[in-house]
Amino acid sequence: MSEADDPIAAARADGRRTLTEAEGKRLLADAGVETPAFAVCSTADEAVEAAADIGYPVVVKVSSPSVTHKSEWADGAGVVVGVESAEGVRDAADGVFEAAAEQGIDADVLVEAAADVDAGTEVIVGGLRDPSFGPVVLTGLGGVFTEVFEDTSHRIAPIDAAEARSAIEDLQAARLLDGYRGSDPADVDALANVVATAGDLVTEYPIAELDVNPVLASADGAVALDALVVLEADAETEAEGER
Amino acid sequence: MTLRQMFEPSAVAVVGASKTEGKIGYEAMANASEFDGAVYPVNPSSDGELFGASFVDSVTDIDDDVDLALCCVPGPATPDVLEECGEAGIGAAVIYAGGFAEAGPEGEELQAAVVETADEYGISLLGPNTSGFVVPATDLLCSFASGAEKVPPGNTAVIAQSGGVAHVLAFQSRRQGRGVSAMVGLGNRANVGFTETIEYFDADDRTDAIVLHVEGTDDGRGLLEACRASDTPVVAYKVGQSDVGEFAESHTGALTGDHELYTAGFAQYGVPTVDATDDLLDAAAALGDSPEPDGPNVGVVTAQAGPGIIITDRIQRAGGRLPELTRETRDRIDDVLPGLTYTGNPVDTGRPMPEFGDVVTAVAEDDTVDIVLVYELFEQALGFPVEALDGLAERVDKPVLFATDGIEEDMAEDVAALSDVGVPLFETPERAADAAAVLARYAEMHTLAGAGEVVADE
Repeated sequence: MSEADDPIAAARADGRRTLTEAEGKRLLADAGVETPAFAVCSTADEAVEAAADIGYPVVVKVSSPSVTHKSEWADGAGVVVGVESAEGVRDAADGVFEAAAEQGIDADVLVEAAADVDAGTEVIVGGLRDPSFGPVVLTGLGGVFTEVFEDTSHRIAPIDAAEARSAIEDLQAARLLDGYRGSDPADVDALANVVATAGDLVTEYPIAELDVNPVLASADGAVALDALVVLEADAETEAEGER
Repeated sequence: MTLRQMFEPSAVAVVGASKTEGKIGYEAMANASEFDGAVYPVNPSSDGELFGASFVDSVTDIDDDVDLALCCVPGPATPDVLEECGEAGIGAAVIYAGGFAEAGPEGEELQAAVVETADEYGISLLGPNTSGFVVPATDLLCSFASGAEKVPPGNTAVIAQSGGVAHVLAFQSRRQGRGVSAMVGLGNRANVGFTETIEYFDADDRTDAIVLHVEGTDDGRGLLEACRASDTPVVAYKVGQSDVGEFAESHTGALTGDHELYTAGFAQYGVPTVDATDDLLDAAAALGDSPEPDGPNVGVVTAQAGPGIIITDRIQRAGGRLPELTRETRDRIDDVLPGLTYTGNPVDTGRPMPEFGDVVTAVAEDDTVDIVLVYELFEQALGFPVEALDGLAERVDKPVLFATDGIEEDMAEDVAALSDVGVPLFETPERAADAAAVLARYAEMHTLAGAGEVVADE
């Protein structure tokens, strides 16, 4: 990866610790994780053009280092799903640019192929650097399974695909991935690959926290629909922290 | 750093030894004086003798090859004592005093000073803030606790973060008739912690199983790696389930409790975990006194259906499996004891019979079985099938556990006989089932951990 294409180097050069969603997805894609087709656009015209290339329906999202929680941003202007037309893309993009201007922040829009979330199971895959254990990965089924039932499974990274698979199988809700009510079983090998890759990324790069939430696991594979990457404090800040 | 000087010293100095009963310096000297080698009381303000040894003013005055110093002095006096130990060429020290890193910034400074001196002279420090350690086989009683001399020698090394828990486990092991190869309270882990002690006891001939009591360590990965590198089976009890890691505010971090990382990490690195001190010793007995199981399949032989059902239920809930025995084995059992209540698995003999041992042997020889668990209420007229069990585990190369109940004095002789032939014994159906389940989990983890290791080595 040349420095110009390296999302981590780009963020460091800007003095940022948080990667944009597009940067996070590029990091994942370069490591072999499937992501939806996407483009980062700085004007509404570019967004319309990108949507035509990607194919409808698309999702339009705010893309800015200043915005980490996109769906809560600007009364919902940050994420518009299921956009079916050029007009819809233009409206959504304008909404993002107007809200950004109002808040006085720099923002682009991310146009992305819409995923049919009903066609799979949403899974959360995360990585972080624990003070005692260093790089660790976790996985859990999305929604209430992680939030209410705290059904998550942990491993010390790095792990191989077999260990990643065992982490997934440790989940109480893992049977949902086997297919239920007539749905096809999810491609657990592809999902295990995402989990193992998250472990590799947090091991190999100075990543404090990696959140791939959700990963859509379906019979066709496992696609990272969102990615949040927070880098560790850079060397100078760390040196200060250590006294 | 080797811990040989700590656990196999040629001679011991008790610094701060005292003639006043009840003081740590007296109790530590009383215990230490049981040791086979020379033990020197050190105290510049005492004269005469204590437990048959003459007081000396300083460890530097001892004209002998002293390896280990037991520091029974208050925390603030420790740096000077350690300096003298360094000058005297003493390679290991136990610091009983508290008031170090556990007690705030001043204590942290004191501990840092002590560690600096220790590192300068290459001294292994146990503690501070510990009640010490005991090696029963050599009467090396470096604990000031009373009763330390009554802990029998066994083959389990107890490594506890808390000196108090170390003693809890040692005394429990005595009540269970098992004993320990060593009992160590790590305390503040100034420069001797989990990794160093696991490495030492893995290489120790007397130790066949290592048990850990863990509250928390900032070197979790080092701990796990030492466990994985250990050829001796390790079982852990991580306390404090309500802990939450430092990343609690962040999204992913909020899902990662400290305890979950320990439990997952131990499993990943081949260490079964348990949730109670007695479970820890039961697991150690099952692992330490048995060949390693190849898989999680348990064959149960019971002389009573009720305990058998408890066992069957509990093993399965705790991660073991009960495969159906082969047709051949069932036929064989039917030849030995025709018309048994149930021969699928468990095999229920209805009550113990003279042929009970033959039934156990048939189940143990079944290839679908990786672990054997026998339950039998004691019947005086029959006793236990000691002859059948003697050497059975080694012959079939799988663990054979035995659980029983009855009147202690009536069955004492038979219990001793089973114990003498190395059969791990359990007092309740639950504890036996849980121990069998630990063996089953251990077997499963070791196929996984083994696979993980190959990747890590690439």
